[in-house]
Amino acid sequence: MCEDMVPGTRLRVLVADENPRRGHALSETLHADASLDVLTVPPGTALVDAVRACRPDVVLVDMNRADRDALDSIRALSCSAQERPVALFVDEDDVELMETAFDTGICSYNVLEALPRDVKPLLRAAIALYARFRRTRDELTEAQRVLAERRVIEQAKRCFMKNEKTSEAQAYRWFQRRAMQTSRRIAVVAGEYLASQKKDEAS
Amino acid sequence: MNTPLRIGVLKLADSAPVIMGQQQGIFARHGLEIEIVVSPSWANIADGLAWNRLDAAVIFAPLAMMTALGRRGHDTGLRPLGRISRGGNTIMLRGANPVEGAWNAGSPGRQAFDLWAMTIGRKPRIAVVHMYSTHLLILRRFLKMIDVSMEDEIDLSVMPPTDMIQALAENAIDGGCVGPPWGIEAEQRGLAFRVGGSATVLPDHVEKIIVASGKLLSCDATGRRMSHALRDAIAFCQQPGHRADIARALAAPVADGGLTLPLAATEAILPGGDARECVTFAGGSLLPSDFDWIISDMTALGWVDNAEHQMLMRWIAPVPANPAPACARLL
Repeated sequence: MCEDMVPGTRLRVLVADENPRRGHALSETLHADASLDVLTVPPGTALVDAVRACRPDVVLVDMNRADRDALDSIRALSCSAQERPVALFVDEDDVELMETAFDTGICSYNVLEALPRDVKPLLRAAIALYARFRRTRDELTEAQRVLAERRVIEQAKRCFMKNEKTSEAQAYRWFQRRAMQTSRRIAVVAGEYLASQKKDEAS
Repeated sequence: MNTPLRIGVLKLADSAPVIMGQQQGIFARHGLEIEIVVSPSWANIADGLAWNRLDAAVIFAPLAMMTALGRRGHDTGLRPLGRISRGGNTIMLRGANPVEGAWNAGSPGRQAFDLWAMTIGRKPRIAVVHMYSTHLLILRRFLKMIDVSMEDEIDLSVMPPTDMIQALAENAIDGGCVGPPWGIEAEQRGLAFRVGGSATVLPDHVEKIIVASGKLLSCDATGRRMSHALRDAIAFCQQPGHRADIARALAAPVADGGLTLPLAATEAILPGGDARECVTFAGGSLLPSDFDWIISDMTALGWVDNAEHQMLMRWIAPVPANPAPACARLL
């Protein structure tokens, strides 16, 4: 069931990420540490089943996974002596680290029977990678927003040029002036202009 | 600049008062700016409350209590703010019902279980949405009612309600105790039949409550405004005449302020709907009697010891009203 399973006594880290690209990137990052065996949850496999099958020491979990609730219950529901209890990793002395982790959407579980070992470097690596993915996503969203606004402005300009028989520069100046007068962005003014044109056409 | 209060909810019909409170402008009328955080798991809700990522949440009492006791590994100031809903949980099983309708207590129920279990051909796998849920307590009481041991005669698992639908379809589980509208959704899809639920086990038990954490706790005036806004939103949701509007709002995509719930099943389980197990929106202050059975069951299951039992009794006791501090920093 577990991919990349390597036998040995190294720390076994299970990466459970719903985003395959990000999960792959996190696994690659962790692979650089020779003291880790890095495992991933195959798509479509429930987190709790993967934990039972892979027997990891540490689980790094994407907080968007709805099946995280099952991991919370693994100890309480366990009927088998073979079951290894797991618990959410919490560092009371480093509240900032924990809050950053939750904000970034990653958390870590420890298998309680495993030898105690500092998992903070793993969590920090995961936080850094999640933050990078979030920045990329935010940048993409921003780029898409700018493109969408440009499309609206272009469409409104064309519409204005046709209605008012003006040049493109004159049309742009009209939207620019109106935006300044009303303290709003040109894209908002352009959107309203298009909406009013549609309304006129409909009536 | 004020920051909005963040309220955590899950994709369940009993989150309706928060959704409608926002959509109907009820929070705004009470001077509250709200951000609704639709969470993928109960663990996210509990961690959000424990680590000040949420100011309030709609949650079931057992998980709220375990979080308040520090079971997320972190001490958290968490207080119950009020009641949201009563009942609405359904116990669904796949396959064919050997008797007509819900199963009766005692030997008739036991016989029905044995007949059904024979057709399943394995130790029944029954799912609940979280370990520390009212669903598990209701399921345990139901099984006890029909003389079936939850500990020995079923395999219990935990999965999100939306996954239960798929798991029933694939025979990965044989049943579950689930909140609205997911039980009725399973029934409408022909995946499962209802054998019991809140109404048969413990009618009108308190189901979802709202708890406050973080900055909401630090300002009595804001907490009171939140309570009043929710009272109005709950009254709105309890009106049968609003059922279709609420169902449409809850069925809308999350990006449009909804919860992507299945429309027909949601309409069936809202107040005035035709489901046998409807949710009842019931606001107001929480009473110790709302929690007695929950704390008693949690103690019986070994989740809390006697000292924690006493702590919980203090936790549910009404907090004496304090003079409202000047909450200049807050809303």
